[in-house]
Amino acid sequence: TGGHTTEILRLLSCLSESYSPIHYIFADSDKMSEAKIRSFEQKRAETFSNSKFTLDRIPRSREVRQSWTSSVVTTLYSMLYSLPLTYKLKPDLILCNGPGTCVPVCISALLLGLLGIKRAIIVYVESICRVETLSLSGKILYYFSDYFIVQWPHLKEKYPKSVYLGRIV
Amino acid sequence: FRFKDSLAEDLRRADLVISYAGAGSCLETLEKGKPLVVVINEKLMNNHQLELAKQLHRDGHVLCCNCSTLVETLQSMDLSTLKPFPPGQPEKFALFLDKVVGFQ
Repeated sequence: TGGHTTEILRLLSCLSESYSPIHYIFADSDKMSEAKIRSFEQKRAETFSNSKFTLDRIPRSREVRQSWTSSVVTTLYSMLYSLPLTYKLKPDLILCNGPGTCVPVCISALLLGLLGIKRAIIVYVESICRVETLSLSGKILYYFSDYFIVQWPHLKEKYPKSVYLGRIV
Repeated sequence: FRFKDSLAEDLRRADLVISYAGAGSCLETLEKGKPLVVVINEKLMNNHQLELAKQLHRDGHVLCCNCSTLVETLQSMDLSTLKPFPPGQPEKFALFLDKVVGFQ
């Protein structure tokens, strides 16, 4: 969604041509991200003529401030979509930055890894908006990601296993 | 206006921006090098939405006030005290990721 998409596109902006194809996954209720992604990929194609990308939507796993218990149900529902999608894409690397959408995708990837089907590296970048506390996705994925990146020093102190590179968006 | 697809044009022409503490508004404004007064309404906002505004204020990049002190802030503000906001560095992320993935 919105701010997350803008941030993740900035994260992608300096990646080399080797990161291809890029598979974007976002919530079905998200109306604006597709346009932003297409515009970003258009510019990327000007530098890297062989760059490929795909777009996929899954049901939104959690509304803002949705209760914890109902979020578990809606996340499980999203997994009915994210699991076959992740199985189909078999990503080498998953990059996410916090929207609820990333949780079912990462859980799907972890399952595929446990089953010996495909092991993906999970890199989570917490939003620049998070200075003192982690988002709910962040709190969950701090334990399940391979690399957890924060953008403010306070969070690095609180979450010692995290990586701090300064502001990267 | 109520909503626009992009405020980029308005931002470009502005001399001063007064905004709520939405992260997008704050960052977009600061990146364009415009002075920013952030109005905080604690009753309307989540705690986490305030984190960024408070940090930007601590770092001297924005002025802060609430709805009742806005007029007084505008009258007495000294914009020269605001520090420029350096851009983020996605190239550092790219370097890190290349190492993680094994592209060197």
